Amino acid sequence: MRNVILPGRYTLLLKLYIARVLVFILLISGIPLMAISSNEDVKAVKENPSHNDLQRGERFFKGLLPKDRTFESCVSCHILSKPDTMNWNPSAMDIALKYVGKDFADFQTAVMQPSGKKIEASHKDFKIEDEDLKKVKMYLDELASTGPPAAGPTINQLANFVLLIVLMILALLDLIFFHKIKYRLITVLILMGSLGFQVKMITEAAIGLGRSKDYAPDQPIKFSHKVHAGDNRIDCKYCHHTAEFSKSAGIPAMELCMNCHALVREGSRSGKFEIAKVLEANETKKPVVWVRVHNLPDYVFFSHAQHVGIAKVDCNKCHGPVKEMDIMRQHSDLSMGWCINCHRETKVNFKDNAYYDSYLKLHDQLKSGKLDTVRAVNIGANDCARCHY
Amino acid sequence: MKTYWRSIEELNNPKELRREEVREEAKQKSMLLKGDQELNASSRRDFLKTFGFSIAAASIIASCKRPVDKAIPYLMKPDEVTPGIADYYSTSYFEGNEYGSILVKVRDGRPIKIEGNTISSVSQGGTSARIQASVLNLYDDARYTGPSKKGNKITWEDADKEIKLLLDSMHSNRDKVVLLTSTIISPSTHEAIREFVEKQANTEWIQYDPVSASGLLQANQVSFGAKIIPDYRFEKAKVVVSFGADFLGTWLSTVEYTKSYTAGRQLQDGRKEMLRHYQFESGMSLSGSNADVRFPIKPSEEGAILLALYNAIAKAKGGMVLPGVQSSIDISDLAKDLLENEKQSIVISGSNDVNIQLLVNGINQLLGNYGQTIRLENPLLIKQGIDQDIDRLLSEMKSGKVKALFVWNANPVYDHPKGNKFGAEIRKLGLSVSFSEYPDETTAACQYILPESNYLESWNDFEPKAGIFSLAQPVIAPIFDSRQPQVSLLKWVGKEINYRDYLQNYWKENQFHQQKEISDFKQFWNMKLQGGVFETQLESKLNYSPDGIKQAASRIKSAGSGIEMALYESIAIGNGKYANNPWLQELPDPVAKISWDNFAAVPVAYAEANGLKNEDVIRVNGMELPVFVQPGQAKDTISVALGYGREIAGKVGDHTGKNLYPFVGEEDGNRKYFISAAKVDKVPDKTYNLAISQTHYSMEGRSIVSETTLNEYIKNPVSGNEREVEDLAKAVTLYKEPVYNGHHWGMAIDLNSCTGCGNCAIACQAENNIQVIGKEQVRNRRIMHWLRIDRYYSENPENPKVSFQPVMCQHCGNAPCENVCPVEATPHSEEGLNQIAYNRCVGTKYCMNNCPYRVRRFNWFQYVKNEKFDFASNSDLGRMVLNPDVTVRSRGVVEKCSMCVQRIQEKKQLAKLEGRPIAEGEIKTACAQSCPGNAIVFGDLLNPESRISKLFKDKRNYHLLEELHTLPSVGYLTKVRNTNA
Repeated sequence: MRNVILPGRYTLLLKLYIARVLVFILLISGIPLMAISSNEDVKAVKENPSHNDLQRGERFFKGLLPKDRTFESCVSCHILSKPDTMNWNPSAMDIALKYVGKDFADFQTAVMQPSGKKIEASHKDFKIEDEDLKKVKMYLDELASTGPPAAGPTINQLANFVLLIVLMILALLDLIFFHKIKYRLITVLILMGSLGFQVKMITEAAIGLGRSKDYAPDQPIKFSHKVHAGDNRIDCKYCHHTAEFSKSAGIPAMELCMNCHALVREGSRSGKFEIAKVLEANETKKPVVWVRVHNLPDYVFFSHAQHVGIAKVDCNKCHGPVKEMDIMRQHSDLSMGWCINCHRETKVNFKDNAYYDSYLKLHDQLKSGKLDTVRAVNIGANDCARCHY
Repeated sequence: MKTYWRSIEELNNPKELRREEVREEAKQKSMLLKGDQELNASSRRDFLKTFGFSIAAASIIASCKRPVDKAIPYLMKPDEVTPGIADYYSTSYFEGNEYGSILVKVRDGRPIKIEGNTISSVSQGGTSARIQASVLNLYDDARYTGPSKKGNKITWEDADKEIKLLLDSMHSNRDKVVLLTSTIISPSTHEAIREFVEKQANTEWIQYDPVSASGLLQANQVSFGAKIIPDYRFEKAKVVVSFGADFLGTWLSTVEYTKSYTAGRQLQDGRKEMLRHYQFESGMSLSGSNADVRFPIKPSEEGAILLALYNAIAKAKGGMVLPGVQSSIDISDLAKDLLENEKQSIVISGSNDVNIQLLVNGINQLLGNYGQTIRLENPLLIKQGIDQDIDRLLSEMKSGKVKALFVWNANPVYDHPKGNKFGAEIRKLGLSVSFSEYPDETTAACQYILPESNYLESWNDFEPKAGIFSLAQPVIAPIFDSRQPQVSLLKWVGKEINYRDYLQNYWKENQFHQQKEISDFKQFWNMKLQGGVFETQLESKLNYSPDGIKQAASRIKSAGSGIEMALYESIAIGNGKYANNPWLQELPDPVAKISWDNFAAVPVAYAEANGLKNEDVIRVNGMELPVFVQPGQAKDTISVALGYGREIAGKVGDHTGKNLYPFVGEEDGNRKYFISAAKVDKVPDKTYNLAISQTHYSMEGRSIVSETTLNEYIKNPVSGNEREVEDLAKAVTLYKEPVYNGHHWGMAIDLNSCTGCGNCAIACQAENNIQVIGKEQVRNRRIMHWLRIDRYYSENPENPKVSFQPVMCQHCGNAPCENVCPVEATPHSEEGLNQIAYNRCVGTKYCMNNCPYRVRRFNWFQYVKNEKFDFASNSDLGRMVLNPDVTVRSRGVVEKCSMCVQRIQEKKQLAKLEGRPIAEGEIKTACAQSCPGNAIVFGDLLNPESRISKLFKDKRNYHLLEELHTLPSVGYLTKVRNTNA
């Protein structure tokens, strides 16, 4: 009797347990979905336009109207979504925010009689009735107050993760209840394979947690390092001029931009719109609020002076091909392992700097040939207290 | 072998105390784990709940977007500011009687640390705990944010208009206007006040010191014809006798005195002589605990002893003996010692009794000290208040003669004995204006509050000693809508000028002509502003006259009977002005080791006779005070600190301790800081919790301090330090000794130069973002100070010998903490530092348990941004003082002294950039930089020429618990007492 009952009870318990685990996994995997970011709260003054007007304005903007359109639509240059490559034209949101507090007349002038080579060329064939343009302005004002349309969810790791869970559930169900697949080995293989893949995904995500390699946020000004450092060959240290002697490389003061932009008022690709922001910051005395790209944790004390000024490390070594970056991107993962590895390999300029004279023992070892070169790690570069204090 | 003890309990029954301590520590730890005993033990369900919650929380956190940080550049970068590099500006601190020429470290526009200015001949690079802590006052939440009238906001223009109108009508009616200030030593401010007083009819300027030197000033008026405080030069003296003057702690120019006192006592570089210090006092003061010979006396006995001393000296010199009362103490040995060191001694008294001070002057004159150890060329100016003046003000306000009162940096409602009456009279006035920066008891009574800028936001100049000037410049633009009172005063008499211009003009007309080297004023000004000081040599025309000494002798009263209560200023809180500073409140008293309260220090024998123990409550003349049994407290005396019990100070200072100012008495018109025949009784069954930390962080009763006497030392420099030799001979170890390639940082602390003043503890706190944890947590043995100053007693509990010893992480070469860390969060560096990576620490506290020196601190709670710890770090303003180069530690990690590794890194980087070796003395830890006793030396042990290497070779050098073979990088130099009279 017992022999019959026990396995049955265990099967039931096992099934219950598996069901619980599955529900739990589903619940947990759902949590990340709940964390949806909200748009920045942009408030704007508007005069309650009708729904119809707004819709018409939107259609004009998106090129659905006028029907016999011979010119490019607004949205084809002034995009609504966030771009992942540099789009030189001001986005719809940028324009909306700039003109939300201004009169229609200003807006009209800017669209119909623009000044600036680039904008003149692209707005040349532009034909639109004043009434319709007013509706476009209404639409843009509305856009400024509501913020850009929410981007649809992107297919990412999470979707794969959920897919694997569904696969596992199916495999489990088949294994316990349906037995549709002839060879159990296949289901077991599917199960183990999915699990293995998930473990790999979790491990990779966990290692990457808090690191932000390839972080390339939108900046308030479409500043391109490629144009400045690449095309125009401005030295890195012209703008980041404290890098050689201070911990911080420094973000150039607004007045430093004016050294060139007092004269250079129009870009070949961006036109006047972006450079105008620099001029405006200097006129209104409100500095531009950049988004910080390279951000070490608070307990890490990194010094540019040590690396750039003393060790003469090339900027590219850590920051990558900045001269080719339109949008500034974090090139290295800035993890501790990455630091440590470099310290293990980097040779110290031991002979030319009198500071190192006090390292008598190492000099002796160099002389006797016991040591061929002194590397950073030999003089304690990997001590905790070099960076953590 | 001498036995050392830290409390009476330890002396009586060391074993029981040990047991009690272990029990107490275990209790504190288990409390945090278990919480309320009534709660059920945690169950499986609790575990599952916690488990589920942690997983859910972890996944939410993981899915959150990384926080977006902003980077805001300068619009126009000021030339002198470089992000990431600190600037240092010279300025000056003056408050109460504390003067210091200082350098302020400014990082990205925020002043964050105060350092001593070495080119000043007064403070000589030293500071005090209060000067160190003053940077926090700048970021005090309690500060006024703008001018107000009767509690309502007002603009400066309106306030000026209204006050000007009232002043004009008073001017035409010739109504009396009084400007009440604390002592002002600023020559330019004197000039501004002179202009105000001249133009506004019938105006009187009164200077007021809550703890005054009135008696001393008046006595010198009789003896020298001028109200001066002479210039004491302790470094030139062989014998110093102090009667109740705590010149190392609170009496007059303490930083200067500590510098010169320790210079006269240090035995480095083969010096074989040191000054001998006698102290007569009631309570155990900082000076008394450093004295070679200490006489515990009642405050009222002082006069008779001085008279006996005068007579003994006069007799030996064939002078006239003055009749008067008899002394209870035999002073013949002291008189002999003084006579042997004529012209090389100093006798001082902290008394406010003119007669006593006249006798002191007489003694110094007989000994020929004037012109030798006591100079009159550059008299000290830091206390000028005469007690009778303020009492006259009170009576004139009562009679209605005074119509308007301007109060500047004075708080008589709190610190005048008749404070309440003062408050009532101020409320009756037609016009009352306070210039106070912070709310206090007096501002509550004033109509207008026109807040002055903090001293770090102001232009000023100071003249601490005649002819010795220093400048003060703003190191930050005013944070709030404040204005310097000088500007207001000048404005009201029709002179619109910003104070920098006024100051500059004043210096152009006065100081500039006192020198010949620089002919261009602009150059002179810039140089003096940069250096901070301008010093001239004056000549003195003052001569001693023996007038009044006979009369003084006849007026000396005999000692009173009954219990006397002595009132003193504590080292941390002083006169109570900065009672709202949490760093100072938490700094344990150097001797009693109590923070966050004042207390009644009672003698050991009295406590035994009356069944009193620590934390009992006694009633003294109607005021209930907690008891602390103080070894060395004189028979029939009780000592209580002033400066506590503020009612309106801010969130930290309000109702901390008891206000004793109402007990300050009066004699011949001067304040008397003791009460005779006090009525004392025990309040039965009542206790009061005190944050006593004297037995915390015990080193298990092992030999820690080494000491010897001067004679022994001269005979054998190793004396007192024999153990070191023995231990080194026996040392064996299983571990490999560490090898250092470039540097080996070390520190030497000369116990002979350390006075225990606590400056280093606060300097360390400011430098290293050490958090304040509050009274309850201090009681729970969790004080966070990385550098503590241990105080040990030895010999007779009625009058013990005291030893101070600063203890911080010893940075052992063979560190017991390092090899027990399960996560390698605390490894050894290539430069001999014992490092700690906070972010790697998981808080097992194994290292704390294994550290024989008890120097590691654990963050039991989140002390920053936490409502429960509402001290300095709970507001954005308060956190502005944080050093951006040091991590702010969070809950659950261990921390400890890092030997200011951020300073080491900074200077190393500078040397590398400049391509040169590090200069000797270039790197200084925060504690060493501003030590007023020059007791701490930091340097590279691998450099054989460095100061530290020489000190480590000194015969007096020893290491703590050498027998454990931990190979500390910190060495101590034996304390030498000059006792054999």
